Amino acid sequence: MEEAKVGVFLSNCGKQLSEILDFKALTEHVKKVSGVALVVQGNEFWRGEGLKTIVDAIKSKKINRLVVAETLPKLSEIAIVKAAEEAGLNPYLVEVIDLKDHCAWPHRDTPSEATEKAKAMLSAAIERAKLLEPLEKLEFPAVKSVLVIGGGIAGMQAAEDLADLGFEVHLIEKAPFLGGLAARAGRFFPTDDCAICIQSPASDVKAITHTSRKCVYRSGFSEIPNLNILTNSKVVKVEGVPGNYKVTIEKKPRYVDESKCVRCDLCTTVCPVEVPDEYNAKLKTRKAIYINTPPVHPPVYVIDESACKFQECAKCVEICPTKAVKLNQKTEKLTLNVGGIIVATGFKEYDPSVIKEYHYGEYPNVITNLELARMIDGFGPTNGAIIKPSDRKPAKRIVFIQCVGSRDRRWNPWCSSICCMISLKNAMLIKSAYPDTDITICYIDIRTTGREHEYYYEKAREMGIKFVKGRPTEISHDPDGNILIVDVEDAILRRFFELEADLVVLATAMVPSEDTKELAEMLGIELDQDGFFKEYNAKLRPTETKIRGVYLCGGATFPKDAPTSSLHAHSAAVKAAKFLSTGKIIKDQRTAFVNEEYCGDCEFCPVICPFNAITLVPKGEDHFVAQVSDLKCEGCGICVGTCPVNAIELRHSRPKQMEAQMNALLSVNGTSKPLILAITCSECGHTAVDSSGMAMMQYPANVRVMKVPCTGILQVHQFLQAFKAGAQGVMVVGCKTDGCHYEVGSQKAQKKVDLAKVLLKEYGIEPERLEMLHMVFIEGDKFAEAAQMMTERIEKLGPLQLM
Amino acid sequence: MEHKKEQKTSATSFSDEIRSQLGGETITLCYQCGTCASSCPVAKTTERYNPRDIIRLSLLGEKQEVLSGGAIWLCSSCYNCQERCPQKVEIADVIYALRNIAIKEGHIPNIYSEFATGLMNEGRIVPTSKFVEKKRPEYGLPPLRPAGLDAMKKILAATGFDKIQWKKEGTP
Repeated sequence: MEEAKVGVFLSNCGKQLSEILDFKALTEHVKKVSGVALVVQGNEFWRGEGLKTIVDAIKSKKINRLVVAETLPKLSEIAIVKAAEEAGLNPYLVEVIDLKDHCAWPHRDTPSEATEKAKAMLSAAIERAKLLEPLEKLEFPAVKSVLVIGGGIAGMQAAEDLADLGFEVHLIEKAPFLGGLAARAGRFFPTDDCAICIQSPASDVKAITHTSRKCVYRSGFSEIPNLNILTNSKVVKVEGVPGNYKVTIEKKPRYVDESKCVRCDLCTTVCPVEVPDEYNAKLKTRKAIYINTPPVHPPVYVIDESACKFQECAKCVEICPTKAVKLNQKTEKLTLNVGGIIVATGFKEYDPSVIKEYHYGEYPNVITNLELARMIDGFGPTNGAIIKPSDRKPAKRIVFIQCVGSRDRRWNPWCSSICCMISLKNAMLIKSAYPDTDITICYIDIRTTGREHEYYYEKAREMGIKFVKGRPTEISHDPDGNILIVDVEDAILRRFFELEADLVVLATAMVPSEDTKELAEMLGIELDQDGFFKEYNAKLRPTETKIRGVYLCGGATFPKDAPTSSLHAHSAAVKAAKFLSTGKIIKDQRTAFVNEEYCGDCEFCPVICPFNAITLVPKGEDHFVAQVSDLKCEGCGICVGTCPVNAIELRHSRPKQMEAQMNALLSVNGTSKPLILAITCSECGHTAVDSSGMAMMQYPANVRVMKVPCTGILQVHQFLQAFKAGAQGVMVVGCKTDGCHYEVGSQKAQKKVDLAKVLLKEYGIEPERLEMLHMVFIEGDKFAEAAQMMTERIEKLGPLQLM
Repeated sequence: MEHKKEQKTSATSFSDEIRSQLGGETITLCYQCGTCASSCPVAKTTERYNPRDIIRLSLLGEKQEVLSGGAIWLCSSCYNCQERCPQKVEIADVIYALRNIAIKEGHIPNIYSEFATGLMNEGRIVPTSKFVEKKRPEYGLPPLRPAGLDAMKKILAATGFDKIQWKKEGTP
């Protein structure tokens, strides 16, 4: 590598800094550091003339390393690095530090001490800059194709968006028909319009028949170009990397050729097998060859293989006029090559039969809201009549019970968020159709938080639906007259009621769909504590996962109503489109790499990596070595901190670079207080230091700050190294353990700090000299206070005695 | 690193006091759904007892009303409320915790004072009566064995039972 010629640029930020820091002394100090070829003072270096000075220095003075002391480094760094790159310097050879928020402002009460600290900070930046290595921008191919898993409201919306944008889209649904849970619900709240829409979302592909933009039933979902719909299918294997996945799909046979079936219904007239119709709450039977409900997509019959007698009967084969029935179809395995994956697997109703006191599954007249919705649906099993399943007589007294299996720490502790509105909707639909029905809703809290949702609740009361604030303890059955008795206390009236009911409707919890866990494992993404898919950041990245190229939408992350699912789906589609739009993925090379000579294939790093970026590959006989995928690696360095034999290094944060920086930071004290090294992660930890400076909170200048990508990169020996380099105390500042930007880094660092404390004790060093803190950006006060207290603590302990 | 701890006021709230008692830990989880009340066989027979009420009053800090009102002694310990509580509030155990606080503070129903006195004086909750002594031979039973009063006294001393002021006036 060519000899380092460092150019140092000291910004005065107007004239703010020179009121505190002695710029003349700083310039003199920097000039004496070996390798420094140029020192320039100025008012600002990230815009206008200042930036031009940097460009000139690179071009005409052959400066090959940049150290810039500039304010707002989060912003200014971007402009400086870009200009340096355009001038011909590798962008990774630039080091930007902040003498304002990290030095002048938090130490304004002690200007001479601040100047000494600034000298140390500049030396450290120069030493680090000298050891920086040029890195490349990596480019990976991305297939402009997306797999959407789940054909409910969210999956269909996302698939349509992406197909319309020109991506090749595969939409897979495990059931034989699209529509998911919402299609079964019949109507949507709070507008009571039909849920059938979602079987063909608002596609722009429409027939010539006049169709408004609102009526979506008549739109042509299956005719959307670039959209490949696969029903009866599920994902069985996911291989590859973001931008280039190989997904294996298992497609169960439909036994009916989709391209030939004309929906003439002749097959059902001859099919001799009758089975209870699960889709319609078993309130009617269906044939072995069937469709769920008339307006369904795809409009093609399917054979229920658990009921069909196949060749023994084959009457449908004989009668089918288009020869569409194919009894010899087999399960197919397909491989799809896609760049991104959208998970839209939704949620399902909880099975309330485990809640013994409500006797669901035992008393036929205790049903769930979804089963009731089938009755309300005109296409449903009762053609809209509300009946008692036990004797099929009209149900005149109906009691709803809210929070069944929800907000219940015995079953599912969360609020399922949509059940209040669902019960209100169903109650009102019944009340409008059959005004003499007596309806009572037993609730704990009514939660109607959406737009116009509260009016819905008002309207329900206006219509004469009764509300009892109390959660019933038990439902019992009186065979005399076939009535149910709901035992409840109205908590407001303080009175006990035994409500008589023909039908009891359970507003059951909404829980993650089946196979959620398996899918999460295949994709390498996380579930939350309740078993739903977890976003990378619920606020700012609500559809992204920690794996680039894998997105979430709809009820897969939590129960949602239809409008929210739609919004979420459009958002996921945009993110996937953005990721794949150029057909390539650009990524920087600040990634980990393995020294194969030292790697002992212990399997620690592949397990610890939060991004599944490390695999073990065979090397010679009976030996494996770890290999890092540059595409998947996010550059946290947690593998570095975990490797027991130091076989992994992180580019741009290599041990020698960190060591040189640490030594320089601790080389000058200039205060009467003991030197303390604060090692921060570059996320919350470093920004907390920023914020204490921004707010001018004062802490002593003996506290020196060193930034690493994530505290997870730190190794126990580095704490000892800091003491050896002159630190009297060491603070490690990371994110909150449950808020680490790299999932486990902060928590791993805490463990290492705890371990190092034990070791320090063995070496005769007070363990109180080492401490880990967890904070967020806005906790600058916490950092300043901690720095102050640590200083006082170390002063009390006295000088460190190293053997 | 030590940080500013939230200052606890010296007068801790009644719910904190209950939570610090064995069995009382879960009281604050209650969201007043009334499952306990509708599960309770006692609440159905008398208006003097309602477990939801007791929890509500306790959480609102109505200490005197809860401890001296007499209701806490009416729980029959069937545990139906506790089994069905969706928030896993250990309601029957909370009632026990309240009874323990009540006893400590001298709100003791007479019948419990009598039990305690009997235990300390004779080693029995129900003292032997002349009636029983006379009847047993008629049934062909041997005389009652004397209670192990010395051992009992040791146990009562070790547990602090004998330090409690069992005699108080004006409690139901």
